[in-house]
Amino acid sequence: MMEQFPPVRVFAAAAVSLVLSTSLHAEEKLDFNRDVRPILSDKCYHCHGPDEEAREGDFRLDVEAEAKKKFDGYFAIVPGNAEDSEVYYRISTDDDNDLMPPSKSKREMTDEQKEIIRRWIEEGAEYDDHWSLTPPVQVTDVEVSDKNWGRNAIDPFILNRLDEQGLKPSEEADRRTLIRRLSFDLAGLPPTPEEVERFISDDSDKAYEKVVDRLLKSPRFGEHWARSWLDLARYADSNGFQADQLRDSWAYRDWVIDAFNSDMPFDQFTIEQLAGDLLPNATLDQKIATGFHRTVTCNVEAGVHPEENRTNQVVDRVNTTGTVWLGTTLGCVQCHDHKYDPFTTKDYYGMFAFFNNTPLEVDNGGKGVSYSFTGPKMDLPLSEDDTQKRAEYDKQLKKLTADRKKMMSESGGREEWENELRNSVEDRPEWQVLTIDQFQTNGGEDFRALDDQSILVTGNVPGTVVYTMDASVDLADIRAIRVEALTHEEIPGTGPGRGDEKRPNFILSELSLEVLKPGKRKGQKLELHGARADYSQGGWEVEKAIDGNPKTGWAIGSQFGESHWAAFRLDKPLDATKKMTLRFTLDQNYGRGRTIGRVRISVMTGDPTVDEITDDLLTILTKDSKKKSKQDIKALDAFFMESNPELKKLDQEMAQVKRGLAAVPVPSTLIMVEMDEPRETHVMNRGNYLDKAEKVVAATPESLPPMDPKLPKDRLGLAKWLVDPENPLVARVTVNRWWAEVFGAGIVATLEDFGTQAQPPTHPQLLDWLAVELVESGWSMKHVLKAMVMSSTYRQSSNVTPDGYEKDPNNAFLARGPRFRMTAEMVRDNALAVSGMLSMKEEGAPIMPHQPPGIWRQVGRNEPKWVDETDEDRYRRGVYVIWRRAAPYPSFVNFDAPDRGSCVVKRPRTNTPLQALTLMNDPVYVELSLALASRLLKEGPDASEEDRLKRAFQLVLSRPPEKAEIGYLMGVLKERLSSLSPGEVETLIQSEGIAFQLDESLNKTELAAWFYVASILLNLDETITKG
Amino acid sequence: MDLFQQHFQNQTRRQLFQQAGMGMGGAALSSLFAQDSSAASKIGLGAQGTHFAPKAKRVIYIHLVGAPSHLDLWDPKPVLQKHHGELCPDEFFVGKQLAFIREQPTLLGTPKGEKFDFKKCGKSGLPISNLMPHLQGVADDMCFIRTLQTDQFNHAPAQLLSLTGFSQFGRPSIGSWVNYGLGSENKDLPGFVVLVTGQVLGAGNSAWGSGFLPTINQGIEFRSQGDPVLYLSNPKGVSPDDRRKVVDSVKHLNGLRLADVGDPEIETRINQYEMAYRMQTSVPELMDISRESKDTHEMYGTEPGKTSFANNCLLARRLVERGVRFVQLFDQGWDHHGSLATRLPDKAKQVDRPIAALIKDLKQRNLLDDTLVVWSSEFGRTPMAQGTNSNGDNVKVGRDHHKEAFSVWMAGGGTKGGFEYGQTDELGYSAAADPVHMHDFNATLMHLMGIDHERLNFRYQGLDVRLTGVAGNVVKDVIA
Repeated sequence: MMEQFPPVRVFAAAAVSLVLSTSLHAEEKLDFNRDVRPILSDKCYHCHGPDEEAREGDFRLDVEAEAKKKFDGYFAIVPGNAEDSEVYYRISTDDDNDLMPPSKSKREMTDEQKEIIRRWIEEGAEYDDHWSLTPPVQVTDVEVSDKNWGRNAIDPFILNRLDEQGLKPSEEADRRTLIRRLSFDLAGLPPTPEEVERFISDDSDKAYEKVVDRLLKSPRFGEHWARSWLDLARYADSNGFQADQLRDSWAYRDWVIDAFNSDMPFDQFTIEQLAGDLLPNATLDQKIATGFHRTVTCNVEAGVHPEENRTNQVVDRVNTTGTVWLGTTLGCVQCHDHKYDPFTTKDYYGMFAFFNNTPLEVDNGGKGVSYSFTGPKMDLPLSEDDTQKRAEYDKQLKKLTADRKKMMSESGGREEWENELRNSVEDRPEWQVLTIDQFQTNGGEDFRALDDQSILVTGNVPGTVVYTMDASVDLADIRAIRVEALTHEEIPGTGPGRGDEKRPNFILSELSLEVLKPGKRKGQKLELHGARADYSQGGWEVEKAIDGNPKTGWAIGSQFGESHWAAFRLDKPLDATKKMTLRFTLDQNYGRGRTIGRVRISVMTGDPTVDEITDDLLTILTKDSKKKSKQDIKALDAFFMESNPELKKLDQEMAQVKRGLAAVPVPSTLIMVEMDEPRETHVMNRGNYLDKAEKVVAATPESLPPMDPKLPKDRLGLAKWLVDPENPLVARVTVNRWWAEVFGAGIVATLEDFGTQAQPPTHPQLLDWLAVELVESGWSMKHVLKAMVMSSTYRQSSNVTPDGYEKDPNNAFLARGPRFRMTAEMVRDNALAVSGMLSMKEEGAPIMPHQPPGIWRQVGRNEPKWVDETDEDRYRRGVYVIWRRAAPYPSFVNFDAPDRGSCVVKRPRTNTPLQALTLMNDPVYVELSLALASRLLKEGPDASEEDRLKRAFQLVLSRPPEKAEIGYLMGVLKERLSSLSPGEVETLIQSEGIAFQLDESLNKTELAAWFYVASILLNLDETITKG
Repeated sequence: MDLFQQHFQNQTRRQLFQQAGMGMGGAALSSLFAQDSSAASKIGLGAQGTHFAPKAKRVIYIHLVGAPSHLDLWDPKPVLQKHHGELCPDEFFVGKQLAFIREQPTLLGTPKGEKFDFKKCGKSGLPISNLMPHLQGVADDMCFIRTLQTDQFNHAPAQLLSLTGFSQFGRPSIGSWVNYGLGSENKDLPGFVVLVTGQVLGAGNSAWGSGFLPTINQGIEFRSQGDPVLYLSNPKGVSPDDRRKVVDSVKHLNGLRLADVGDPEIETRINQYEMAYRMQTSVPELMDISRESKDTHEMYGTEPGKTSFANNCLLARRLVERGVRFVQLFDQGWDHHGSLATRLPDKAKQVDRPIAALIKDLKQRNLLDDTLVVWSSEFGRTPMAQGTNSNGDNVKVGRDHHKEAFSVWMAGGGTKGGFEYGQTDELGYSAAADPVHMHDFNATLMHLMGIDHERLNFRYQGLDVRLTGVAGNVVKDVIA
């Protein structure tokens, strides 16, 4: 509804003013909740409302008895007599000293509002509880102008209001429109042409209902409806904040999908998410459900204070619970009593206490100020296949471990080895620096040799890079080599890595060594082992530089600004006395300039073992054998093993098995766990966690129905209290959100707020009817949704008439069917479906379809990387796309997807040029246009162009083209066929991010022309609109 | 004539409606026009507009990510230098929240030597470090606040607080508030553009997000590598002419649909395709700095085709020239916990010349008077030394995060040139006079833009939420 730069405001206030104007007919008595409370709340309660701290003159207007008692010699309100009422005098006076609200408050009342207050006092100044706090009641006899219109209980409520507005319902939409609308609303996907045809030719009375039932049963239902719940649950796959690392809680996302598919009663759905872990004999699924409140963001940046982080997380849990179930803004009572609604700070911390008993979620391992995410996790069961794989690896690992142990105990010559070592210490061999004859790099950098024989690399900062360094040598008995990564002031942050001044790391992915002999074209590779380094970053150990795996490597994270070295032993000593060249190849695959800024190579002749001896070991070695402690012997054993080349093979095998094991990880998910000892909860002054005031116990807000004393005072009790049918808010808030999903706007337009500042419901009786229906149906979501879509209201044509538009631009009164743009995920799902590419694979770990390079860039440790999927995962539904808070999937962002850093009740619906660019140029949509074109050609190899166009319309728009459309597109096709060459398609598929498999049997010129037609169709307003 | 065009070219929207037999009523028609981008090209149409005459019509807001050491750049502390190496007073440490420092630290004076010395600059005599030689030359245009305070001492929450007024996720950024309030002056470009050097800050895209405001108001990042705006360029093999044909066809078919359905939303979409097409030309033109004069390149230190902070400064000028209202530059790499004495000069060198050039350039184009340039960060740095890194290992000395008082400055846009507001104590720990909270600072920026921060709000969850929470006082003294 909002569009373009510059933004254009919409008609946010239209619904309210319409409601108000109808109520102002002189003959009708004012309704306190509808007409008066919004004025008092907006203009007066700020200083004369529930907030004790902010209350002025000790006078409050929100409580009837207070407002009507004698105060300071006056009566603020004299029922039936406005002239004698101080309130009316204060709002209508010309005397600026007496005027209320004071002019400096910027809350001036309009004359119309003053008149309403006057009339209300004249009419008796009756107060009434706020409508949302009174229990919903199902009214059934509603006065309507046409008893024949409508199919179910919803319709009279709608017609009644239309009558008041002088509007008439629209006629029923045609069947194609209806099945398309239903499919998008219930499954989030378009109907297939076959489904459309089946519906059209079904002349039974139940034809429509059959479609509804089929869609409600489809597994696509849960995938579609999960999206809006996951917005509320601020579900994402990353922590948020500084490093925004990934974490696993997708099992929770799948739980939501399953719960919707099985129509889990909403009360159970609530209880399991808030307190599944506290249910007796909680099942695995019930624990997974508690992921709802573990989706909250978590700051693990260095220097964070864990308790503050935890407090913020609890605050988020309280606020989200308030928003999702109570439609209430608890957030502001964190610091002060509510200005408008009857909630106090004490109420807030009473709620806080329910959530205050879970453990800290970050930990520094006892050292430094670097923190990791450590909140409670639970392992998930493996598939049978994976269980077997893991068992096999475990078996191998066991055997290798045993072999190794045996080798350790059997290895002879130990004493001899020790003696030799002691002797050679006297004559330590030394590293000899090599002069590099030729340095090559494929990264386009500048480089130069420095006096100390090191090479300094400057200039262009490459992505991945390979350094090739040749040195001619004339040395006998080379047994080890050393790579030094040195600092230099010309390197950003002085290095030794180049890419980031703040974190000048490098990753040496793979080091290899070859001997080049004169006259021989191919070098001979020399095997290396026994890697050592002065320092390795955790997870980036030096041995990973020679493990043959290009994805791992040696890095020096956190020890920046210092020089480092890594040394490696040759499997066999090299006699390099005959003129030969050593070639060192340094693969650095990490990207973004994580490359060595200054590099130097050395070799060692003679036994390097001595060089590897640390001073500590040397002391042990020279100790009397009787004086050696257990630790001493252990250290010596370890050193012996390291320098034993025979162990290399074994260790490599072990590493490989471990890699295999890591490739079949045990999945886990985040869950709530209650601590044995609950924390004490205090009111926090101004919300500051260090400034504690009075102690409070877990309690629900006083203005809401009390908690059954039999319920436990924990999350489980809270959840059960929420879904007690006595609670006036939960069912109303819930059905209102579903209504908005289907009809485009809520009956209460402020989905997130049902308090006194909320917009009053357009159809209060309908809202209550739906709320009661939800509870009485056993909290069945599908029951309520079915009622909505079965109604005549829903089935109306969505065409806009000038008169209808003028009277109700926002369609608040529903004189026409819903018509609005689909959500981000639906836009992509739809294109996948119509092009025939959609994978129906369900659930599991999140996916990474194509996105432009460079979207994921973030500071900090363990940065995740985006790797485009290449198999069917590339084409799965949007609900499975990985959600990283710092940078959500960009095409979704362009269609109003939030970052999910906090609870989102209602996504905006904008209309922007970036959306046009996305649909035209995002490689995803280019690829899908190609797929659609190819589908049309393959499905109808002998079909006429006109027939193909008809098929295209059936696929994309669920309807045949109109004459004007077909005529126009035939023209487009003809023009395209005449101006394109067969090479166009091949150029197109070479564009970045396109993984389209070209079918060689297709005519390429035809495919290119149809690509344009397909792209045009995928860009149509109708294609991305539910109408 | 081209097949694509012949059906559509002469059809105005009015004809389309007439064709469909829809004589739209006067009110509805005018509201349709209001959604027409050509009609909405003037300032503030539909937007809330300013509350009073603005001093600044545009903002170039430079956020130095990580927090530069104000004590070594802007706010000289000879007494701190004198007591260098002594244990800090207890009240600097006991009961205080610090991010990295865990044991009572020593005081850290600015390194001695000419390189680090301060010079009294211009007629105003404002002290500026020799690390910023070019900015020393524009001191008389700079307006310092020496006593900015914040509530947060970790990067991401502090960035959110400074840029969205709230330390957790979910609130609109300052640029999106301005965009929401005032709209854009240029119909081919967004009203709020973001340029980034180095890695993205910890708060992620939320730093320029729109929170609960309509997403149309969020900052659009113009990237220096790949497409400047995501999905701007056509796929390989699709020429501008091919693209024009697609746009025309989509327009034509959408037009037919509009005639059938009558939903004005379709009209808007037609316009957005036109604008997308125009952006394909206007954005690359904007980003291409190669035709700037040699003198300009010399002044900024820019090199066409490279990614640099200097290039972003020049782009900022090009953006405001074209009517983009809010331009935000982020530059990463100022979090000097260690090796301050080498790393700070390096960073200073990267930004000094281009920012000074930007101020001079705006001035010579008569844009500085109504363009506000801001130098800010999420917090400042401690007068105490930090000698260990995040793993607890010893490193060369630097400074920790500091929220009690730090310097930011503004230039142009109706601020007093050569002026300083507030005073820190002699060790540079806290405000000795005139503290300014982050909310006050934001209120002041809004005020300069002609916006009353208490009146620019958005009804969300029953509250009229605003950038400054329930706080914020305009610092009137800095306004010229």
